[in-house]
Amino acid sequence: MRISFSEWTKSGSPWVWLNAGAVAISIIMVVGLLALIAVRGLGHFWPADVIQADYEENGRQRTIIGELVEREMVPAPQLRGAGIEVPEGVEAMARDLIKVGNRDFGSADFIWAMDHFITHTQRPAMLFAAERLEWGNFYGYLREVKEAGQSVGRHTGYEKTQEYLTLWAEFQQRIDRVLDIREQILSIEKKDIGSINYEIERLRLKERSLDLEQSTDTAAYAKIEARRSELNAEYEQLQQRLTDLYQQINRDTFVAEIADGREVEIAVAKIVRAFLPNDMGLAAKIIHYAEKVWEFLSDEPREANTEGGIFPAIFGTVMMVILMSVLVTPFGVIAAVYLREYAKQGFITRLIRIAVNNLAGVPSIVYGVFGLGFFVYFLGGHIDDLFFPEAKPSPTFGTGGLMWASITLALLTVPVVIVATEEGLARIPRAVREGSLALGATKFETLWKVVLPMASPAMMTGVILAIARAAGEVAPLMLVGVVKLAPSLPLDTNYPYLHLDQKFMHLGFHIYDVGFQSPNVEAARPLVYATALLLVVVIALLNFSAIAIRNHLREKYKALEM
Amino acid sequence: MTSEIKTHAIDIASLQRDSRTLRLEEETHTLQVRDLKLFYGQKEALHGINMDIAKNRVTAFIGPSGCGKSTLLRCFNRMNDLVDGCRIEGQLLLDGENIYDRSVNVADLRRRVGMVFQKPNPFPKSIYENVAYGLRIQGVKKKRVIDDTVEWALRSAALWDEVKDRLHESALGMSGGQQQRLVIARTVAVKPEVLLLDEPASALDPISTLKIEELIHELKRDFTIVIVTHNMQQAARVSDYTAFMYMGDLIEFGVTDTLFTNPAEKQTEDYITGRYG
Repeated sequence: MRISFSEWTKSGSPWVWLNAGAVAISIIMVVGLLALIAVRGLGHFWPADVIQADYEENGRQRTIIGELVEREMVPAPQLRGAGIEVPEGVEAMARDLIKVGNRDFGSADFIWAMDHFITHTQRPAMLFAAERLEWGNFYGYLREVKEAGQSVGRHTGYEKTQEYLTLWAEFQQRIDRVLDIREQILSIEKKDIGSINYEIERLRLKERSLDLEQSTDTAAYAKIEARRSELNAEYEQLQQRLTDLYQQINRDTFVAEIADGREVEIAVAKIVRAFLPNDMGLAAKIIHYAEKVWEFLSDEPREANTEGGIFPAIFGTVMMVILMSVLVTPFGVIAAVYLREYAKQGFITRLIRIAVNNLAGVPSIVYGVFGLGFFVYFLGGHIDDLFFPEAKPSPTFGTGGLMWASITLALLTVPVVIVATEEGLARIPRAVREGSLALGATKFETLWKVVLPMASPAMMTGVILAIARAAGEVAPLMLVGVVKLAPSLPLDTNYPYLHLDQKFMHLGFHIYDVGFQSPNVEAARPLVYATALLLVVVIALLNFSAIAIRNHLREKYKALEM
Repeated sequence: MTSEIKTHAIDIASLQRDSRTLRLEEETHTLQVRDLKLFYGQKEALHGINMDIAKNRVTAFIGPSGCGKSTLLRCFNRMNDLVDGCRIEGQLLLDGENIYDRSVNVADLRRRVGMVFQKPNPFPKSIYENVAYGLRIQGVKKKRVIDDTVEWALRSAALWDEVKDRLHESALGMSGGQQQRLVIARTVAVKPEVLLLDEPASALDPISTLKIEELIHELKRDFTIVIVTHNMQQAARVSDYTAFMYMGDLIEFGVTDTLFTNPAEKQTEDYITGRYG
């Protein structure tokens, strides 16, 4: 059956197709975005094969050992321009990006190699990869393990023999020992010495404030001095243990043969993890992958943030968003209640409402500048003058920190909460309010006991929108407290536990820093994707928990259909 | 269902027997309206109303839409205070005291003059908490007292047997008629002197309406009741006195029986015989 175009238009089907198309495009875009960052980010943790390639360039032979990262086609004219011989009739040639590591023994982590010049590729089982505390990855053949300079085993073959495996096992055992010692060292440095330092600093500030008061209380000074010498004695002891541990950790070294045939000696203490990627089965690879992902989620960053984990950034982001929500909710709700319930509706309230709505559209960097100027310098400066004169000239609250960042973001998101709450209040049926008033409740009692609980789902909607906006915000944070690397988490076991004055790390800023400020961009790129994925996941989780709370409230106060 | 209608018929009969002996002048007057004028901005909505509401009787306000009967009812507990631009002249005495006096605490007044609205408006809380709401507002803390009052109020509203096993479930799960009786129980729980019912059955089905009407009969033993209704049969069934209002004026006010059988005013007769309105 044929229908005319005008009938088809009238039937509404073009409209349906248009809507469906728009929805489909949105979904494809979101899914595509997530898929891209997921694939790029998560692939990074999979142990890639290490190839050994014979490379012949202009008659010069050399061996390349490394991971193949990507391959791209380069047009012939560009190659000829770079002085590379290209046979006639070839329009483009493949070029490989290989991660060769060994930055301390070569020049670069990554090299570009012409696929054409690679004469032979193999994946030797005994080629090992090692992650190190500094200088990036290491690739080579294990040759010798030494204990305090004395050889405990040596092997020179390239094949997977029993001898080689024995040496490898010896090496692994020593790495485990080093990891164990390193954990002890970290525990002493971070926890024990950290809290001693914290207390000594507090004692110094106490003494300084006594000085400032021009106190003559010699007993107080004596007490501080006594405690300080106690702490110093404890510190000396810990320092002694640390020296011991450092001697132990530096006992072992190993010798390895690298791509150019040199044998190099490296301290086992520098190794985080060593593995034989070409010799791993699927199960071993999965375990390795899980370990790497867990390290990424739970560890602190290493090597200018390009290696290790991003736990401090996750923690900082979540902490800041929670503080922001705690600050913004009461503030926004109270403002909305006043505007909607108490203020006389007229020109001025309308003006205020317009102002609030426009506030939501102010670029976030403007809030950052305001936060820096007003909160950090003005408020923070005065707080320091009043409450922390002993710490001056170093600022306590007079510099960016967790509190100022949270307050700045709360200010940024308060319009959203106000608007959502106001709409919620407007939706509460008049009959319910009158019912409460008719029972002898005052306006305040009615608000507090009936209206606000019923409007709470709307408030949660506001908070959800606020979280969605705040969690992804980076620009203002750069001005009011986010740093590239924070020495400690803002929540710890030292009194007062939550350090609102501390600077913190943030996933959004971390992405920017790793991706664009890092000395080793190639190495950092997969981390940018992984961190971006994590940021999305963290925001989604924060939002889902807020939505779950809202749905619970909605169920509880399911409004009457009136 | 038939039995309910039968009992109801008996009730009407007893009411009619009663009403022959009623005389407004001999009653105790809980509420006295003295030359009450009400303005919405510049517009005068009530033009000097004078009436006395008898204690422990049911007084019904009838009249066409927009005649001011609900407005007058809402003056009795100062609900009109909530309307912007609403102004009142004249006096409204509750037990001899002017409720529009400056010294009157509006919350206290509303506790003494309770109100039930057209549509059931239970709070989104449990049945128990709905009834206990007024007590909690008054600061009653003792669980025993609250428990007893909730039971008494629910029994007064003839709801106890239906809900006693689910007191802590949400009130929003009840039927419309149950919700309206719950609202009555909630109002009764604070033990007001006067109950104002603003078309309490207009949103309900016939059976629920019957139940509410029976309830009104029960409640007048303890409370003075003023009811606004669109339904003349309902006014005839439940009330002792009826006031007919038209365009903001009180046209006729008297014993229900007399007003319906032998109206003094032509307008009243026209309205009750359905010639307009």
